[in-house]
Amino acid sequence: MDSAIRLRGLHKRYGDTVAVADLDLDIEAGEFFSMLGPSGSGKTTVLRCIAGFEQPTRGSVALFGTDVTALAPFARPVNTVFQDYALFPHLSVIANVEYGLRVAGVGRRERRARAEEALGQVRLAGFEDRRPHELSGGQRQRVALARAIVLRPQALLLDEPLGALDLKLREQMQVELKELQRELGITFVFVTHDQDEALTLSDRVAVFDAGEVVQLGTPRDVYDHPRNRFIASFVGSSTLLEPQVSAALGLGSQAMAVRPERVTLDAPGGVPGTIAEVIYTGPEHRIVVDLDGLGARITALEPNTGAQNSRSRGDRVTVSVEPAAAAPLEAEPDAA
Amino acid sequence: MQIGRVARYVLGTITVVVLGLIYLPLGVVFLNSISTSETLSWPPPGFTLEWWGKALQSEGAFQALGMSVLVAIASSLIALVLGTLAAMALSRYRFFGKESVNLLIVLPIALPGIVTGIALNNAFRTLMGVQLGVWTLIVAHATFCIVTVYNNAFARLNASGTRLEEASQDLGAGLFTTFRLVTFPHLKSALLAGGLLAFALSFDEIIVTTFTAGPGVTTLPLWILQNMFRPNQAPVVAVIAVILAVLSVVPLAIAQRLTAKDAEAVSR
Repeated sequence: MDSAIRLRGLHKRYGDTVAVADLDLDIEAGEFFSMLGPSGSGKTTVLRCIAGFEQPTRGSVALFGTDVTALAPFARPVNTVFQDYALFPHLSVIANVEYGLRVAGVGRRERRARAEEALGQVRLAGFEDRRPHELSGGQRQRVALARAIVLRPQALLLDEPLGALDLKLREQMQVELKELQRELGITFVFVTHDQDEALTLSDRVAVFDAGEVVQLGTPRDVYDHPRNRFIASFVGSSTLLEPQVSAALGLGSQAMAVRPERVTLDAPGGVPGTIAEVIYTGPEHRIVVDLDGLGARITALEPNTGAQNSRSRGDRVTVSVEPAAAAPLEAEPDAA
Repeated sequence: MQIGRVARYVLGTITVVVLGLIYLPLGVVFLNSISTSETLSWPPPGFTLEWWGKALQSEGAFQALGMSVLVAIASSLIALVLGTLAAMALSRYRFFGKESVNLLIVLPIALPGIVTGIALNNAFRTLMGVQLGVWTLIVAHATFCIVTVYNNAFARLNASGTRLEEASQDLGAGLFTTFRLVTFPHLKSALLAGGLLAFALSFDEIIVTTFTAGPGVTTLPLWILQNMFRPNQAPVVAVIAVILAVLSVVPLAIAQRLTAKDAEAVSR
């Protein structure tokens, strides 16, 4: 079976700047696929090439086995949820949702029924006659979703759709997006710079850096086995261990990344050190330890168990890391 | 920003003097239109509505008014179509010579009318071999009317960006459907404002008109100029001037309100 979205040698240059560098990518049907990266890493450009708003400098975009590289956005079987929603301000909510059906020549009665169904799917029934400026950010977000899914696209492209929402609402929308994707069974391609969002929602994540995919895998792959320093520091937090520190901890002679929650304090056979900082974050304490004689620091997490925190600055501890908990990092010729 | 008391009085006085210099003569024209003196002597010896009655019966004045309205509407319509197309092209597409085209579109409003007038007069008569008539006049007016429409539409298109048009295309609408359903509704008030300004510009234009109107084509400003120094016509001209002033202010005020209201809606 053909991939839902197949990119081959996709390359996009703006003047002298390479936004996307010779990208090959296969996104499967029914998959929740995230493109994660800092701003300027090329992820949005890739999405815009799939939607048809950008013409690649070279390379091809195929949707469900059909090459669409030369097709205009309106001729592609995908729909987009835009970052700032891009709702039509002069149209009511229901007219916004009906827009694609109206353009396609669907009869008035059918399009009304389908638009109402879509509004129901995003839990926005009852808002049909409002104007976009009368809605809250979260409600606008839902209208944008309904407007895109009402056309029953084979793939839905989402460009940082939750970026403008506050934290509480964002978490709620994450759950709803995931449910919606399962319900519709279509491919979601989700662009975000928020690693939590990407890990929470996705079946697979592509991490972008400087126009390239630097790691592609399940959220667990990417989080537990970051391939290089960039991924280790961009996705979640981790301590980067230089080769001599890895060696002292008995992990091997390579640079490694270790997640703070995988660092154990005061287990037998640990490396001695002094606590430099104890940071209270609510659910846990972040404990920064200066390792004796190594000139290096490592961060550990201990859950907040409710008891008076027994650790404080200056305490002597030992630090140990399970070999399986550390991810070896690829050497980088262009070490940043 | 705070300003001192002295500065406030000085600036206030300057403002009053300048505005007075602009608007007192208009008041004088109004007084002249109801003055009993045929030679507009000052101060008016008495008041009468005789001139208003005469003016309202003056066939020449009304024919000229009709001509002015016709020319203003026709040149504004041409400007609306061409100005919108130009604004779309320059705000939405990149092409070679774009900056130059932008300058060339806006330039006619900065060119001295006398230059435009002579140039068009020559071009029409010698280059194209066209008789001067109503159409030459309409085309001449359209050259500078385009600018107001173009400027308004261009500013609106640039302010709104391409996101709504992208959304429309994403939902399956082609270029023309997108223009009809999304771009045009968004542009409507800017176009109305630009069109009204174009109308006002054309309506009282006299310099270019002098050079490009054919014989027998008399617009209201031309009629006023011709009658200004005729015996016994001066008060009638004053009446027409008052009517003209009122007629020009109305579209301008509407245009200004529309632009302000929409700028507000866009920024929301």
